[in-house]
Amino acid sequence: MPRSPQTPTTTPRPPASPTPDGREAVIVGGNRIPFARAGGAYADASNQDMLTAALDGLVARFGLQDARIGEVVAGSVLKHSRDFNLVRESVLGSALSPQTPAYDLQQACATGLEAVIGVSNKIRLGQIDSAIAGGADTISDAPIAVSEGLRHALLKASHAKSLGARMKAFASLRPADLAPATPRTDEPRTGLSMGEHQAITTATWGISREDQDALAAASHQHLAAAYDAGFFDDLVTPYLGLVRDANLRPDSSVEKLAKLPPVFGTSLTVPATMTAGNSTPLTDGASVVLVASRDWAQAHDLPVLARVVDGETAAVDFVHGHEGLLMAPVHAVPRLLARNSLTLDDFDFFEIHEAFAATVLSTLAAWEDAEYCRTELGLDGPLGTVDRSRLNVVGSSLAAGHPFAATGGRIVATAAKLVATRAAETGQVARALISICAAGGLGVAAIIESAADPSGQPGSGASADEAAPATGSDGAW
Amino acid sequence: MSDTYVSLVNGGLGRSVATKLGLPRPGVLRRHTPDAPLAPGPVLVLGTPASTEADAVAQLLLSADGGSDLDVRRAAAGDATRWGAVVVVLSDVVHPSDLAAPMLELSGVLRSLAPGGRVVTISRAAAASDSPAVAAARQGVDGILRSLAKELRAGSTANGIVLSDGADLGAPSVLAALRFFLSPRSAFVDGQLLTVSSTAGTAPASWDRPLDGRVAVVTGAARGIGAAIARTLARDGARVVVVDVPAAGESLAAVANEIRGTALQLDITAADAGATIIDHAVSRHGGLDVVVHNAGITRDKLLANMTPALWESVLAVNISAQLAINEALLASPAFTHAPRIVSLASTSGIAGNRGQTNYAASKGGVIGMVRATGPLLADVDGTANAVAPGFIETEMTSRIPFATREVARRLNSLQQAGLPVDVAEAVAFLASPAAGGINGTVLRVCGQNLVGA
Amino acid sequence: MDVDLPGRPSTVKTLPGVPGLGGLYARAVLPGWPRLPGRGGEEPDDASLPEVTYRAADVVADPEHLVRYQRLLGEPVDDVLPAGFVHVLAFPVAMALMVRPDFPLPLAGMVHLANTVTVARTIRSDERLEVHAWARGLVPHPRGTQVELVTEVTARYGAGDAMEVVWRGVSTYLAKGVTRSGVGAGGSAAAPASAPFTPPMPTARWALDAGTGRRYAAVSGDRNPIHLSALTAKAFGFPRAIAHGMYTAARALAESGVGRAGAGRSGAVEWTVEFAKPVLLPSSVAVSITGDEASGFEYVGWDARRGKEHFRGHVTPGAS
Repeated sequence: MPRSPQTPTTTPRPPASPTPDGREAVIVGGNRIPFARAGGAYADASNQDMLTAALDGLVARFGLQDARIGEVVAGSVLKHSRDFNLVRESVLGSALSPQTPAYDLQQACATGLEAVIGVSNKIRLGQIDSAIAGGADTISDAPIAVSEGLRHALLKASHAKSLGARMKAFASLRPADLAPATPRTDEPRTGLSMGEHQAITTATWGISREDQDALAAASHQHLAAAYDAGFFDDLVTPYLGLVRDANLRPDSSVEKLAKLPPVFGTSLTVPATMTAGNSTPLTDGASVVLVASRDWAQAHDLPVLARVVDGETAAVDFVHGHEGLLMAPVHAVPRLLARNSLTLDDFDFFEIHEAFAATVLSTLAAWEDAEYCRTELGLDGPLGTVDRSRLNVVGSSLAAGHPFAATGGRIVATAAKLVATRAAETGQVARALISICAAGGLGVAAIIESAADPSGQPGSGASADEAAPATGSDGAW
Repeated sequence: MSDTYVSLVNGGLGRSVATKLGLPRPGVLRRHTPDAPLAPGPVLVLGTPASTEADAVAQLLLSADGGSDLDVRRAAAGDATRWGAVVVVLSDVVHPSDLAAPMLELSGVLRSLAPGGRVVTISRAAAASDSPAVAAARQGVDGILRSLAKELRAGSTANGIVLSDGADLGAPSVLAALRFFLSPRSAFVDGQLLTVSSTAGTAPASWDRPLDGRVAVVTGAARGIGAAIARTLARDGARVVVVDVPAAGESLAAVANEIRGTALQLDITAADAGATIIDHAVSRHGGLDVVVHNAGITRDKLLANMTPALWESVLAVNISAQLAINEALLASPAFTHAPRIVSLASTSGIAGNRGQTNYAASKGGVIGMVRATGPLLADVDGTANAVAPGFIETEMTSRIPFATREVARRLNSLQQAGLPVDVAEAVAFLASPAAGGINGTVLRVCGQNLVGA
Repeated sequence: MDVDLPGRPSTVKTLPGVPGLGGLYARAVLPGWPRLPGRGGEEPDDASLPEVTYRAADVVADPEHLVRYQRLLGEPVDDVLPAGFVHVLAFPVAMALMVRPDFPLPLAGMVHLANTVTVARTIRSDERLEVHAWARGLVPHPRGTQVELVTEVTARYGAGDAMEVVWRGVSTYLAKGVTRSGVGAGGSAAAPASAPFTPPMPTARWALDAGTGRRYAAVSGDRNPIHLSALTAKAFGFPRAIAHGMYTAARALAESGVGRAGAGRSGAVEWTVEFAKPVLLPSSVAVSITGDEASGFEYVGWDARRGKEHFRGHVTPGAS
């Protein structure tokens, strides 16, 4: 594809994990509430309500009542100013010990995954033994702000020293300033919505409508099958009467999806391909993941599903069209793989967040494109091909929905259970690659792998690490 | 769910009106509160003249194991004592004529029984191998007990302990059953005879926390009776795993957090449900001692209108799942430390109910299941028993039309519906280590419902 | 940029200050002005530009005005004068020239064809600036006659009173349908070969509401009625209000980020715009701004639905 070469973004650094004393951050499990469509089951629930519900479900699942957790880190993308301490307030309302500290974090759609990586690092450093990472987002209860004009006038008036000055502050107001400003999900620097941005990327990579619809249908079918098989029995706790993700259409099919009109990219010079069916809908929900040191998990008789191996965050220059808004994970993953001496063939599962079907397909196409990988990623050739049978095997955001900050927790818990289940079946270490794109041209990728008790599973990553830390070779994992 | 009628007729004006009109005047049941005494007054132990067995029972109640928190007397003093309970020891009767003395003595003190008082008989089971006179005397106790229960008022109850097989008065379960019947925990158990069939079972270190150190699983624990069972087991000291279908997860989590247990969302009809339950209990709580099969559904339909789906779903959840889970439990080395299985039956399974052939099949099935499962657990000092609730105030029964519900509420000796906690108390008792001598039985929690036996 | 100023008429008329644009417009369109150019009356037979340079000294930015401009255009709020703000500050001096009775073209109905700004270095908000403006390049255009207005801004450098040119703008205007004999054909007479416009991939979208013109008018002082409301615009033959061309150019400049102060940046920049179809308000303008900081950005804006070009230009970092 035609693009001017930029500084390649892949510069391998030495492997980051494990820490010198071999401490691991392990994923004990997760919990989320089913995701609701905007204005649906959670129309009256706030971010704090939903995050508290997700925490309480986690507490119930793992018997953490009154437990003092090392730290709870979560966030929301659409956040009220009153929720400046959203996570701490949620903790106080939960069954956790009120002595559990917390802080808010926000990295758009990557909030949840970044929270997992952050707490994992603290655990590996030995600063904390246990943590809960996650996020919540509501479209239904999103903040509505006053217009910029009114806001400036109000601020000026509140700082004014005299009545006259106060009156003067309001004198400049126009009727239009009194209309509330609805929250924008447009990119501030471009004015384009995420869908419009993706439509440009979709056109650039020539992703077909058929491929997008097929991916969307597969997402619904996979998620429905996983629910039916009980896969989510220990990952989801119903909330406000909602038992499964409201967006899930078990009977979704390529034929049905093909009937939907395109909604993004309709003013481009190429045919529009992105529909409401192959794009994620606006969604409400919350998710949390319990991460701990292995010792803490053992001391509390808690299971260990997986360990957080490593994470990488990338950002791309999308503002002037050099790279697609949602393509940052394309850059993050090769850096992450290089640092850990892994290739795409080393993964049993790929959890690539389905912001849009086309996002996933553009990502895969980019990794297969030799020229792009050379000029943009600084690789010698294509990064490789993702085995589609290993991709989003229990569905992803297209079916489940995507409450921005809650998606990371959903995916991490899902991937952890997938690798644990696979490892239990095969006796081999199973590994998953997670990638989540985010607003602002951000993208976060992470590697997790199964981490059953090392004593019970010879050859697992953990025991190998302890025996020969930081070799960085394939064999060490 | 509250029974306003019971409060009304126990208030000043309501009481006199109800008395004058001859309306039923159900008593307020004495229910468990922390620190409440076992009985609401002194306990009088009666027996056949010069009965050493009555002396033994009195001693038992006074012993350290018995709790020694009771004022136990062997004779009525003829004063104005309001008796908290009367224990009638009839285990040594050999002829129906032996019943006269103790029963007439009881007759003399009945009017002095405190509200919420207790009459407990202790007798031996009549068997075909007994001499006819012995069998007649023993079986006569049955009739006495059931009739007396219908005569008592003001929330008082009468229940009997029946010794069978190898059990004697010293069996730990006799004391445990006696304490249960005397206590507020048996509030809605009335007119029932509970058989102690062996000397198995151990008295707890603390009668307040008989389940200390035990790990219990309760299915269908998200709400109603199941939630009450979970709360009661936790109150009694157990670490509780609450299980319910994933769809009930929100309330299930709330119950788990309330009782500091863990929530396990599980469809119990899944093929690996038993393994999942065992694995969760063992890996998270270090073992599994008590399983309460409470989960159940109703899909009422006259048999003439029955569909395969309605029939099969009820049988699958209410009995087949229990059978499959029990099979896993019986095969598990984890379930070998005086394990307890308590299964929820129903008076419908005993007496039948119109429109409930499927439900009654499953609940009758439960009764048969525990009778046959109990012996399989005996060699690890385990038991399997059933609790059969009568009309209990729950979300489910609150949906019954008002008139029908009012009638159903009064159709028992206590003239009111039970509460979920009443069922839970019976379950907790059967789950306790001291109840090891009670095996394969059914304990009804029905206020001596007129329906059925 | 050289400090010697070629082409600047040596006759200098110093204004008492920067004139207000409102008054200038009024003079241009109201009857009673001694001679309303192009509106009847006697046409100058041998048209020529006034041989005079207008000068305004001691021009200093009003900090509150600067903040309002920075907020509206999306420039960072700091003490650097954006190139577009300097235009707002200085252009009235050129406008004053255009409303002179001896200016050969009528101001009313004049179309802004293009604008080129060259900034030599970062200009701070507390700098005392001097503005010079003159006209040049009166040439025939296929649709009339065009003229260039040159505006130069100088500022002190070093310790003494030496002045350097820090900003230079050339605004090209077209007097539609106006022909003047004696205007040499030396300029850009040929019609630009208008290749059909094919929209590129957009990189941004500007949702311009009906108040866009009023808001820019408030910070620029350019209250030309065609920008203020549909009603006033209709009076001048436009179906709706149109966005200020310099607003669109200044926004593209702001979004490119070139010319801002920063590490390794002198603030030197060349910023151009050519205007095609006017932006009728309200409007959703598709914009493509492509390039990078080192080699500069090309930008183009168009009507997303009709695919008609509104404007294009470039923002290139200059040598300081």
